[in-house]
Amino acid sequence: MRFLPYILKHLRRNWIRTGSTILGMALCIFLFCTLRTVLRAMDDAREYGNVTRLVTRHAVSLVYNLPLSYEGQIAQMPGVERVAISSWFGGSLPAKKESQNGKKGAEGQPDFSKFFTNLAVEDEPYFAMHSEFMVPAEEMRAFREDLRGCIIGRGLAKQFGWKVGDTFFLESFIPPYRRREGPFEFVVRGIYDADKVREPAADDRVMYFHYKYLYESTGRRVGAGLYVVELQDPSQAATVAGAIDKMFQNSEAETKSETEAAFRADFIAMIGNLALLLNSIGLAVIFTILLVTANTMSMAVRERRTEIAVLKTLGFTSRQVLGLILSEALAIGALGGALGLGLSVVIIRAMTKVPGVSGFINGFPNFGLHWSVSSQGLAIALFLGLAAGVMPAVSAYRARITEMLRQV
Amino acid sequence: MSAVPTLVEIRGVTKVYKRGRERIEVLHGIDLDIPSGDFVALMGPSGSGKTTLLNLIGGLDTPTGGSVTVGDRRIDQLSGGELAAWRAGHVGFVFQFYNLLPALSAQRNVELPLLLTDLSAAERRRRARIALTLVGLEDRARHKPRELSGGQEQRVAIARAIVADPVVLVADEPTGDLDAKSAEEILALMESLNRDFGKTIVMVTHDPRAAERAHTQKHLEKGVLKA
Repeated sequence: MRFLPYILKHLRRNWIRTGSTILGMALCIFLFCTLRTVLRAMDDAREYGNVTRLVTRHAVSLVYNLPLSYEGQIAQMPGVERVAISSWFGGSLPAKKESQNGKKGAEGQPDFSKFFTNLAVEDEPYFAMHSEFMVPAEEMRAFREDLRGCIIGRGLAKQFGWKVGDTFFLESFIPPYRRREGPFEFVVRGIYDADKVREPAADDRVMYFHYKYLYESTGRRVGAGLYVVELQDPSQAATVAGAIDKMFQNSEAETKSETEAAFRADFIAMIGNLALLLNSIGLAVIFTILLVTANTMSMAVRERRTEIAVLKTLGFTSRQVLGLILSEALAIGALGGALGLGLSVVIIRAMTKVPGVSGFINGFPNFGLHWSVSSQGLAIALFLGLAAGVMPAVSAYRARITEMLRQV
Repeated sequence: MSAVPTLVEIRGVTKVYKRGRERIEVLHGIDLDIPSGDFVALMGPSGSGKTTLLNLIGGLDTPTGGSVTVGDRRIDQLSGGELAAWRAGHVGFVFQFYNLLPALSAQRNVELPLLLTDLSAAERRRRARIALTLVGLEDRARHKPRELSGGQEQRVAIARAIVADPVVLVADEPTGDLDAKSAEEILALMESLNRDFGKTIVMVTHDPRAAERAHTQKHLEKGVLKA
């Protein structure tokens, strides 16, 4: 501790260089923590998912719909409790503000900055098998009685300030779901609360509306985006999934059935090998910062060769000098790491509120900077500082006093 | 009248440097006794081995052959770590270019050798303050080296050299970078340390006027001590 003032004074000596190195380190740790948080959230999302439900989709791609006739066939299969259609609508609010009274609000291009998940579902079986969505009975009744009615999550209602009775318009970017008359009009008939204890992945920023409304508004031409299948016995998931896919083998629309968790994993994988991409970026940044910090430390030590000689002359042992230089490097790492972590906390919190991004982020259960990611970030910062300081410290350790003094 | 004890005893010291395959013998069998409380000036032309000899006395380097005893300690037999510990407790160094640490104030510079002791922070500050008072710079304690004149910097360096109360002060051209007036002040200060505090001083100098302030003058030529 008695050497701490000495270390800090030296860090402040060339404050621009020290400051820029700390900032570089902070940026590195910020990127690492933020990327790791996203990856962790994606990993978590893969693990969550109700074990009593299967998802059956088109074997080729989610882009293709399944025939509506499949619903009855799946429902007849042994081990299946019930089946519900769920189609991802892909609707966005029109850029022009929605209005309560009319068609004016239907004009304007979609505003993707206010994008949120909206699904056309068969309400009765869907909500029966999704008990984690808690809707007051009278609101559910009102929803079922109104074809334009929708149920929205509490988070979504809060985000847009919607309440029961409010009207808004959505325009899908998926061509078959667009209609000549313009965007779809919806009336909020109910607001659900997500039971995160029962289902950690339950998202309260989703809007559900009647599949029938979509089907009839589009001239009864659309199929089912996917089928959600509730099982009688979760242990039979693989058997039932295999039986469903076997039933539609060699048909025009072969199916792929999997558990909700597997479906989430597949859905995330559609983005590409995001983990590899993010990890590569993180590694490149870490390596760059290592070089930058090592260069800074080398310059700092080279400039202070005489001072190091003086310290040794005064009786500081080579080990003590080595310790001082490593401590300086560690201090840079610790300061940069702390700053980077602080920045990550702020940005990760902000991400959940940024329009456009928040919709994606809030779909992940428990999105936030986890202590294990923070610890890893701090450990990397300290390691980078230490690694950057090793060479200059060893050089100072080995240097002979008389040689260093002669270079004055 | 009792004889003054010998503080520094050098016997048959040789020093060889190797530059590639070339072997350069800088000191050739030096014998030298420095009594306790003496003020010795080491003189000689450039390359004669003055600084090398001073470094051996101060424990900054070890001889290739022979022995160097300071007090009752054979310092040529000490390991690197032992030598560092010995320097911290027994030797004060004054350099031509002061070699103060620019990031630290005068007070902190003077405190540096005390960081290696068990003294409390308050005691370190007190002793550094006394040392600065001794060199007449108590009012400059908070100043950084760049805010001081050359003479003042050298006085801070002397305060740093004496703060741990060493038995011997070694000074390498302490007035070499100073104007005449500042050089005079530094020499007067060194004289005072020798006379009033009994410090043994070994000083390398080119300046005959500086050498005149010493009690003993030793001349080195081509690595050999002349009478």
